[in-house]
Amino acid sequence: MEAIILLFITGIIALFLGIFNQAKLTTTISVIGLIGAAIVQHYPLNILSDEYNLLEFNQVGNAFVSLAILLTALIILSGDKAFNEEKDHIGDYNALLLFSLSGGIILIGFKDLFMFFLGLEILSIPLYVLAGSKKQSSTSSEAAVKYFFMGAFATCLLLFGVVLTYGATQSFELTEILSKTINSSGNAMLFIGMIFILASFLFKVGVAPFHFWVPDVYQGSPTVFMGYMSSVVKVVGIYAFIKFFHLAFGGLYDFWSTLIAILIGISMFVGNLTALVQTKFKRLMAYSSITNGAYALMAILYPDALIDSTLWVFMLGYGTSVVALLTISMILNDESDEISAFKGIGYRKPLIGLVAIAALLSTSGIPPMTGFFGKLMLFSSVWSHYPWLIVFALINSAIGVFIYLRLIMTIMSKESASEAKEITVSPLQTVVLVISLLLLVGGWLMLLCWK
Amino acid sequence: MELLITSVVLGLISFLIPRNSIKLFGLVGSLVSAAITIIHILNFEIGSSVSLFETTEMPFGLTFQIGYDGLGLLMIALTNFIIPIILLSNFRNTNTSENSSFHALVFFMQFGLLGVFTAADGILFYIFWEFTLIPAFLILYWFGNGVNKVLLKFFIYTLIGSLGMLLSFIALGLKANSFSYQDLLAVQLNATEACWIISGFLLAFAIKIPLFPFHTWQPDTYTSAPMSGTMLLSALMLKMALFGMIKWMIPLAPEGVADIKWLVITLGIIGVIYAAIICIKQQDIKRLFAYASISHLGLIAAGIMVFTKDALVGASVQIVNHSLIAIGLFLVADILESRLKTRELSHMQGTATLAPKFGFWFAIIAFASVSVPFTAGFIGEFTLLKELTEFHFAVGLLSATTLVFGAVYTLRAYQLSMFGAPKNDSFKDLHWNELLVFVLLTIAIVGIGLFPQFIADLVGPSLDMLIIIFNETTTH
Repeated sequence: MEAIILLFITGIIALFLGIFNQAKLTTTISVIGLIGAAIVQHYPLNILSDEYNLLEFNQVGNAFVSLAILLTALIILSGDKAFNEEKDHIGDYNALLLFSLSGGIILIGFKDLFMFFLGLEILSIPLYVLAGSKKQSSTSSEAAVKYFFMGAFATCLLLFGVVLTYGATQSFELTEILSKTINSSGNAMLFIGMIFILASFLFKVGVAPFHFWVPDVYQGSPTVFMGYMSSVVKVVGIYAFIKFFHLAFGGLYDFWSTLIAILIGISMFVGNLTALVQTKFKRLMAYSSITNGAYALMAILYPDALIDSTLWVFMLGYGTSVVALLTISMILNDESDEISAFKGIGYRKPLIGLVAIAALLSTSGIPPMTGFFGKLMLFSSVWSHYPWLIVFALINSAIGVFIYLRLIMTIMSKESASEAKEITVSPLQTVVLVISLLLLVGGWLMLLCWK
Repeated sequence: MELLITSVVLGLISFLIPRNSIKLFGLVGSLVSAAITIIHILNFEIGSSVSLFETTEMPFGLTFQIGYDGLGLLMIALTNFIIPIILLSNFRNTNTSENSSFHALVFFMQFGLLGVFTAADGILFYIFWEFTLIPAFLILYWFGNGVNKVLLKFFIYTLIGSLGMLLSFIALGLKANSFSYQDLLAVQLNATEACWIISGFLLAFAIKIPLFPFHTWQPDTYTSAPMSGTMLLSALMLKMALFGMIKWMIPLAPEGVADIKWLVITLGIIGVIYAAIICIKQQDIKRLFAYASISHLGLIAAGIMVFTKDALVGASVQIVNHSLIAIGLFLVADILESRLKTRELSHMQGTATLAPKFGFWFAIIAFASVSVPFTAGFIGEFTLLKELTEFHFAVGLLSATTLVFGAVYTLRAYQLSMFGAPKNDSFKDLHWNELLVFVLLTIAIVGIGLFPQFIADLVGPSLDMLIIIFNETTTH
């Protein structure tokens, strides 16, 4: 709770610092606020008495909060150059990201449907604004409108589902819903409510068949905020999805698990097969995020997902590689966003090359990268419940390798793109690249301190 | 532990070494690894198994255990002795030998290979197995003249195979609740599970070896790779698969061996004959040697499936022998290609007249490849053939054709390239480093040919152990 308050205050400070057009100062304050929030989250001060505390975090929850904070910090640092170009708005951008993150933290710690809904909205609303923040660009406006309408629609579905669930169980508390649902099998209202909630979740995390908004919105949004959407929002959204379904609807596992497993299977293929033919980098990343979101959602299929480190490691690998790749894209700063523009940058700038290789191998699931351990743990956890899904996932991993390997070959090519610009890497971006490289190669070692 | 760490450290240092001294550094560095190996061999007690590092304090049931027994030590020695030879033979290809990232990649590759040969944990084995792909891929990509398509094929092909292996490891590991080698050995499987699990392993190894229908990536990759890359692939990387068959695939799922025994033996023999026939028609010398490699390895794979002591000893000798021959042959191909700027056999006529020393040493390598007596190939191939004949007469008969075919295509290649009226004006004879490589290879080949008992003693006890495990499970 204190972390959320701290983030909110930092956000407001950042908002007002915007008046002075001090880009560096705003970034510094935001990052300090983020670090402070992570510390407070792990070592709570207990200022507030328990009766106000509507959130609860177990160890895994805390780890997810830290991951979300870490990724946000990396994104704010990597956006340094992009923010500098629009000095007037830097305060707004930082503040909105921090507000959105505090919503994300609520979404990790919720205990009842009320806080859950609040968290979801606080997470989403700033993003509608951020998606459209490139005001001159029509694609950015399109992204914002599309995101807003889709998001609003998903929210409606969610509310409807919540209402029906409440009608069937007379409770907002997750644990009470669980105890009611275990006994009342065959309550049609409950099932319909659950289906609506499921649909809205699939919308939010972009799983087929509700994935169609993802590529347009991601491509249109400015790259920094796309990084936030495809890493932090995915991390938080999928965690909340799993928490909701395990805690509230755990008794109906047999009913929803097969359905979700089938949708995951479809999603992986949709994402990967479409990514195969993309020529735009951000679109490729968008489709890749659909596939990876589907992998991550597989964690919902086994009962221990909320108490072990599996999903966290997978998300660490995925989130970091997204941030790393989008940072590279921002460094290149190519308006057309063609993949061919990446040709040879890794060879010219070895650091970029190293990070790109690590990030792409990690998403492909090749050892010794963090992504491999995430996939390994995820797949072997789900193996005993849905073996056929794992076979599908491995087939998709192979397709994925093809996609990412082509990208590696482009980036590491000895020749450069025809009209190669001079690339400059700002110091903060270097920091982001180095941190993500370390996380990608050695992040899984953090499991050693996992109790 | 220093066995593995040395190569990582060398790899990292390589980045810092300036251009003009990198090749010397690489050679000296790889000799350090070789020296460490010699110390390990001298301290090794026959029949014991040595643990290099062990911890169970790893996340997710993964144990970090590395160590070796006789078989592992043989493979370690092979790796660490072959790498200096590869670097030495590469001395004059300035494109690679004066590049620090190339040396770093070679050392990382060495690290991966040593990891594969020492891993005593399924997942660790898989990690190292996949890890070797990364440096191999980069070496081929940066220093080869390949088309991207070929490389993608190579990577995807081997990766799909490895995914089958990963699946098998996961299935086994969940049954054993651990991935450590000893625990995996203890798992009892029923017939269906064993069949699936062994098929997963087989997919990985069959693609890597490569066995007959899975071989299509290999000739293209070999021809497009730089010489040192081809050597690394054929002399070391493919041996991972044969080693994996002996140490991992068969002992972990012995119950399934009966299901795939005939399949592998048949595919191996088809490979032997099919590749040999292609070799006979082949005009491109590097491609010819690539197919010859398929032919030789098919025989080893078939022999391993018999899984008797003699067959495995023969396979071990042949593994070493094939590495030595592969290096010799690909060096020959590279010498011809770099000086004549062509790989066509028909353009090479009469080279022996121009470069007699080269002609002489090529002849020795060619004879070793045909396995004449007093060379290691003679011991290896004849033991394998003997065991295959004992297993089934027709199998023995068909696989023995490798001797005839081998002689035909190797001597044909020799004749076409070396004899006749010279087609070219001049041909620079061997440089000192090439000469040294040939001499070293010949000493090793003849040495093993005369004293094969050394290898048999080294690997014998560990093979006995594997055979006991195998027989216990299959006779129950």
